[in-house]
Amino acid sequence: MDNLDAARLQMAFTLIFHIIFACIGMVMPFFMVVAHKKWLNTKNPIYLTLTKSWQKGVAIFFVTGAVSGTALSFELGLLWPEFMKHAGPIIGMPFSLEGAAFFVEALALGFYLYGWNKLPEKFHWFTGVIVGISGVASGILVVSANGWMNAPSGFDYINGEFLNIDPVKALFNPAWFTQALHMTLAAFTATGFAVAGIHAFQVYKKRQAELHKKAFKIAITFGAIAAVLQPLSGDLSAKDIAERQPVKLAAMEAHYHTEKGAPLYIGGIVDNEKQEISYKIEIPKALSFLAFGDFNAEVKGLNDFPEDVRPNVAIVHYAFQIMVGIGTLLLVVGILFFISLKKKTWWQNNRFWLLFTILAPMGFIALEAGWIVTEVGRQPWIIHNIMKTKDAVTPMPGMIYSFYMYVILYTVLTIAVTWLMVRQIKFLNNSKSV
Amino acid sequence: MLYVVLFFLVFSLLLYVVLAGADFGAGIVELFSSEKNQQITKKTVYRVMGPVWEANHIWIIIIMVILWVGFPGFYNILVLYLHIPLTLVLLGITLRGVAFVFRHYDAYKDKSQILYDWMFRISSLVTPIFLGMTFGAMISGNITVTDNYETLSFYDLFIAPWCNGFSFFVGLFFAALCAFLASVLLIGEANEVERAIYVKKSRIATITVIILGFVVLSYGYINETTFVIHFIKNPYAITLAALSALLILPLLRSIRRARKVTTRTFTGLQVVLILIAALIAQYPNLIITSESEISILETVATDSVIKVLGITLIIGGLVILPGLFHLLKSFKMIKIFEQ
Repeated sequence: MDNLDAARLQMAFTLIFHIIFACIGMVMPFFMVVAHKKWLNTKNPIYLTLTKSWQKGVAIFFVTGAVSGTALSFELGLLWPEFMKHAGPIIGMPFSLEGAAFFVEALALGFYLYGWNKLPEKFHWFTGVIVGISGVASGILVVSANGWMNAPSGFDYINGEFLNIDPVKALFNPAWFTQALHMTLAAFTATGFAVAGIHAFQVYKKRQAELHKKAFKIAITFGAIAAVLQPLSGDLSAKDIAERQPVKLAAMEAHYHTEKGAPLYIGGIVDNEKQEISYKIEIPKALSFLAFGDFNAEVKGLNDFPEDVRPNVAIVHYAFQIMVGIGTLLLVVGILFFISLKKKTWWQNNRFWLLFTILAPMGFIALEAGWIVTEVGRQPWIIHNIMKTKDAVTPMPGMIYSFYMYVILYTVLTIAVTWLMVRQIKFLNNSKSV
Repeated sequence: MLYVVLFFLVFSLLLYVVLAGADFGAGIVELFSSEKNQQITKKTVYRVMGPVWEANHIWIIIIMVILWVGFPGFYNILVLYLHIPLTLVLLGITLRGVAFVFRHYDAYKDKSQILYDWMFRISSLVTPIFLGMTFGAMISGNITVTDNYETLSFYDLFIAPWCNGFSFFVGLFFAALCAFLASVLLIGEANEVERAIYVKKSRIATITVIILGFVVLSYGYINETTFVIHFIKNPYAITLAALSALLILPLLRSIRRARKVTTRTFTGLQVVLILIAALIAQYPNLIITSESEISILETVATDSVIKVLGITLIIGGLVILPGLFHLLKSFKMIKIFEQ
């Protein structure tokens, strides 16, 4: 494997893990403060137990998210020095604001975790709210920096130099809003379904059912609302990509030939050699409509672009299918959940709990697939149409060893965090306070 | 506005060294304690560091961001040639962070604690050593800046800059400084019986700092390291270093009289003085390569970038600093109130 591939794999690998930790650390505080609020309102001790066990989850995920994020902030420069040398000053603003938001989050978490019985009740609860809000703000800012890589703006690119830098314009690049909205909703969907799934499994196993049903309800409410809203945000993203990165859209849909009234391909197997896709389901004219709001609009195919600026079509297409497929599934199940609130008998049926248990990892699979679409779909560019990834990589040879080291480190970390969560739940189920 | 940015850079660096340094040091003190004292220290460390420890470590992210935004060329040299020690620092920060949380948030306190404890203690020692080595590497004069990576060996380009005697001694010196900060901090937090432990530790740490500081300077002097020559010849640097050394006397008296606030002020001041002395000796040429000295000001970003960065830092500072102050204050005040 050459240095570039090793560096790309390392970046992908660390991002895949960081995203999981960061999303949970960003969304779980909201579950925690809702449970906390219910405790303050009802004084039902179940909510206190729940708040305190979720708080441990928040602390563990916050730290793993923070350290893997620190690692990433170094890796940007360590792996892509040429990129950071030029992009650093331009996209510094979202990163420095993110630093500030993250700092606020860390401070608020300090208050929250250590403030029990020490701070005034309402202020203490409010510090938990700040943890959540500043976490979401950090997420949005980081995604804005990524948006800039897809939609570079806020500078003039003249003779290979980045001149007239305007950091504010770079922060509010054309892609920031659609990407940030899509990602925030995805984080809530993924975490909501994951946390709800874990509690659903406990109900399924008939362990402390009363507590876990309450936990389930809080988590899934967030997840289901986000899942229902997500298609709207997805539509905005698709239209945005159609306009700004047509080659990415073509890869997502595995469209090789430019045509008017382009059909939407669902599933299928990509054959890049023959430039076709077999065994797909075809919906006539749907792609033109989804991308441009016009059934007869022209959609550019991959053939309109030189071979050396096309991403890996198969990876992007499959990842996109996985994302949309799971997204649709979660949307349906989300609606089912809202119906179940009216039909209480469903909650007595163990198959209901089994369904949510099975769905637990789905949101995160979709979320990772979505990032693969964004990142692999942008290749070979690190800055779209400006700088290629291969020109940004570190000249230091032997990156493969660095990659191995991170694989070992993050695998161990993931196993450790999972094991810790299992112990938390076991401890919760054995606690006598409920 | 450039000076605002430089101020925040130095300010963040000082805070990182003092706050995170004390944090690393706490693990070092724990590492070099008897088994019984390790458990006592573990509890004290959690009580003292718990609410602020994550915030302490964010300063390094701020430093990185200021460098890459404001001084991209300078940052570029660091991440290119000091890739390996920086990766090792990261590895240490990661393992240490998770170990700290695991050992305090694991639902069951069983044998796995032993693993978390050792992970925490060892990474607490190794991380500041590599951080110090990175600082040392910047000024050791062993970096070779080139565009032609084929002409030099991997060792010359990526290992020699940091894997040398001078950097190693700076690494050890920095770790000792951390232990010094932590042991003094812990004195103020311990009860009557436990205080004796940390008084002893802080004496050992003080002596180690002095010896290692002497080793760094004499090793550099014998090997004619540019930085050391500059340091010794710079009247301000020498005055500040001497002042820092003189502060040991009132510090020892303050420890004996168990004055918490003055003790901490003296300790923090000593470390800050040493750092400023080192910075003054070299400013603005903060990287010394095998051929020349590279000024941080040579690589500064354009005015528009610096302006926005400065404004962002001021706004960020206005939000963060009162929060941080309040956090430090409330938990201390609560403690006093409870007593």
